[in-house]
Amino acid sequence: MSAYQENFFTRGPSPLARLTFFSLFAIAVMVADHRFQALGWVRMGVSAVLSPIEFALHWPGTAARKLSAYLDDQQRLVAENRELKEKLLQLSSASSQAMLLRTEQAQVEALKGTAQRFAGKGQIAEIIRDARNPYARKIIIDKGTRDGVEAGRAVIDGNGVVGQVTAVGLLSAEVTLTTEKNQSVPVMVLRNGLRAVAVGAGREGTIDVPFIPVGADIQTGDQLVTSGIDGTYPAGLSVATISLVDKNTSLSFAHIVALPMASAGSHRLVKVLTQEELASYPKPDTQADDKKSPPAPGGRQARRVPAEKR
Amino acid sequence: MDLSPASREPMRPPAPARLVIFSLVVALVLNLLPWHGWALQIKPDFLLIVLLYWSTHESRNVGQGWGFTLGLVMDVADSVLLGQHALGYVAAIFLVQLLRLRLLQLSILEQAMHVGAIIFVSQLVNLLLNFLLGQDYPGLAIVVPPLLGALLWPVLNFIVMLPRFRQRDPVTFMG
Repeated sequence: MSAYQENFFTRGPSPLARLTFFSLFAIAVMVADHRFQALGWVRMGVSAVLSPIEFALHWPGTAARKLSAYLDDQQRLVAENRELKEKLLQLSSASSQAMLLRTEQAQVEALKGTAQRFAGKGQIAEIIRDARNPYARKIIIDKGTRDGVEAGRAVIDGNGVVGQVTAVGLLSAEVTLTTEKNQSVPVMVLRNGLRAVAVGAGREGTIDVPFIPVGADIQTGDQLVTSGIDGTYPAGLSVATISLVDKNTSLSFAHIVALPMASAGSHRLVKVLTQEELASYPKPDTQADDKKSPPAPGGRQARRVPAEKR
Repeated sequence: MDLSPASREPMRPPAPARLVIFSLVVALVLNLLPWHGWALQIKPDFLLIVLLYWSTHESRNVGQGWGFTLGLVMDVADSVLLGQHALGYVAAIFLVQLLRLRLLQLSILEQAMHVGAIIFVSQLVNLLLNFLLGQDYPGLAIVVPPLLGALLWPVLNFIVMLPRFRQRDPVTFMG
């Protein structure tokens, strides 16, 4: 009799039961990913399979770009070369000055007994593409765990801070730009050292600077540089230029908009800063803090900054 | 006596497993192309449409499990929250499973309208999750991908039927 127990039509659970099961599973996965960042290995595994396919799909575009660069107008190249040389000259003088300052700073800090904060080491990576999500400001670079890139690293280009590595695969890594909504960078005004937080507005090429009192000394054209107090970004990197200051006295905070210095849209190469140069910072885990987040979501750490200021 | 099939859908042998897998891979690759700018905003989700096609026509073999798995793959590929596409795909495939018998009675164009609505529901799931994550309303562009998806439905039907008509030998099937 038992042989006839089987259903003639084997159908398994009903669609509704399946829906319930898979929805709960999906929600569990989302919570694990968002709340606890526990599923990095899933991302690693899948992206290890997807990356080669994506490289292959991008190859025609890359090849075309290289070809057009090869056939590029000689004149334009000469002009660009001259421009770059001029920039190099300016930078080399600035760099020798910076070296002098760094030496002095090292001496002062040695006297004070504090740790050395800033060095210039990093790793050059190429931007492969934008993330395939129209509502996120993220880019994908061609260096991953194989090259020693880790989540939480700061990413800069020739002009300033591009963003922060937020997810890594074997061969590629995802960088969240400073313009991503709620992506925060602790900054200070270069002119007077006023501390602030630069928060991405979620729009192309705009950064908000919230929580600045109406009476604060900040004006259009001010340079914002990283203040270095979060331990993610070394101090002194350019972040943005203030483009709009609206001090409406009926509000307690000024409405301030800044334009990011780095433009991931027009560069091909970025630099991922190595962790050694930040080794002197306290690790986020060791801080007296209940949040177990890794340094990756810069927002969460940086959002604490105003509280520390108070 | 009229012996033509009662439904407009003629009797078909099950699709070969190779065809199912091949079409899903092609759809995944289409999704993985370096879409950029406005094209990215209006791009239909090729993988979802192919999944919906096979959950309509091969409902015994392709269902929510496939949707969930491939949804996770898309989550990684698009670097969004893990489970976001998976939930949208599972919801859409559930709706197709509910409406399957009805869909198969309809003409291709009527099917396309249903499919457009179902894709829109799946997109609403994603939109809702994005809201919960604090992202902005992306604008009216969100109605375009379901419309394009609906337009792709007859095309997909046509393409998938092409090699199958030529394939006369008995089909091998997956478990």
